[in-house]
Amino acid sequence: MSIISKPVDRDLDTLLQKIAGGDRQAFGRLYDLTSPRLFAIIRAVVRKPELAEEALQEAFVRVWQKAWAYDPAKAPAMGWLATIARNQAIDLKRRFAEKLSERSEPEDQRIGFTMPEAELALEMRKLRECLSRLPVDRQDMVLLAYYQGFSREELSEKFKRPVTTVKTLLRRSLATLKECLDGRA
Amino acid sequence: MAEPEERDGLAAEFALGSLPPLERAEAERLIAADPDFAARAVHWENRLSPLALSLAPVEPPAHLRDRVMQAVAGGGDETVVALRRQTQRWRAAAISAMALAAALAGFIVFRAPPTLEGGRYVAVLQAEGTNPAFLASVDLAAGTIRVRTLSAAPQPGKSYELWAAGAGRQKPQSLGVIDADFRIGADKLGKVDPGTLQETIFAVSLEPEGGSPTGEATGPVLFVGKLVPAE
Repeated sequence: MSIISKPVDRDLDTLLQKIAGGDRQAFGRLYDLTSPRLFAIIRAVVRKPELAEEALQEAFVRVWQKAWAYDPAKAPAMGWLATIARNQAIDLKRRFAEKLSERSEPEDQRIGFTMPEAELALEMRKLRECLSRLPVDRQDMVLLAYYQGFSREELSEKFKRPVTTVKTLLRRSLATLKECLDGRA
Repeated sequence: MAEPEERDGLAAEFALGSLPPLERAEAERLIAADPDFAARAVHWENRLSPLALSLAPVEPPAHLRDRVMQAVAGGGDETVVALRRQTQRWRAAAISAMALAAALAGFIVFRAPPTLEGGRYVAVLQAEGTNPAFLASVDLAAGTIRVRTLSAAPQPGKSYELWAAGAGRQKPQSLGVIDADFRIGADKLGKVDPGTLQETIFAVSLEPEGGSPTGEATGPVLFVGKLVPAE
């Protein structure tokens, strides 16, 4: 949890508690506060606008249903919400088998860190630093999987490597990341 | 799933989003059933979520707010309303797009098993809202696994491949391409005690002719079912 996001997360905690009790007004407020960030996450994975809207709607329905299960001790509220949004987007993407070839926008669009440096939270800096220790192609693999929901198969197509190699590279990269992230205070 | 390294790798890839449908479903099953695995998944989500939160916000279209508010309104049981909506959409998807590369969890349908004689286990393999596609049966006395094709139509140049997942498997296990008279030894499933069997999920994916070239499901997972006692 970063210094910057803490107060916001506390507000969201309160809202989620109210939502768990069936408070629709709190739900509306949560939507207003968080939907632009969650929609950004979804749009990166699901390019088709109507599918992205569907995913956002499903994500919020899930938040409404699952708010009772939210545990601030396990994850910061914004992270919990982001995970729900990403999972909805990835499930929808897989279900509709949205492939690289069907994407309506050009692939060479730059992905990465779009927030200004000054606003980057502490963990983000650390994560970025740890990522930068990976070879460039592996950084790209991890980021494409995370931001755009690329499956091993899609990564295999894009990087012209066998699926099994992609799996090995991803697992190794993630293990390296973990070591770097957890290994330091 | 024995080795911590493999468990952590699966949890990591689940959080990353790179898992193919069958392994994603297996990870979801573990999250529900295995607290240690669930904790690993949450830890990975926390490690990676700063990436998601660093994206520049994008305002969703204004009309969406009403739709979302409406989806949770309705006075009745919201869960039921939401599930009904999902079911309707998935049914539409199943009819309109044969390419329903399934996130398995969404398609698992737990049905009352057909009544069969003898000490057998069956799994009805189907996609939500469609007729049963295959019926898989495990007969411990005879030591066989058989699959009967019900409504699944042959796909030119493609093969249906049967997979077993869950019940402690590290990843889905291929049981082979389904042909007109599919019959294999039950020993293919490994330990076949009833407890393990009932945790087994069967799935069918659409693969290139002759089956998956990689040993993992490469095509869409079309039908899923859970083994249940038949008597």
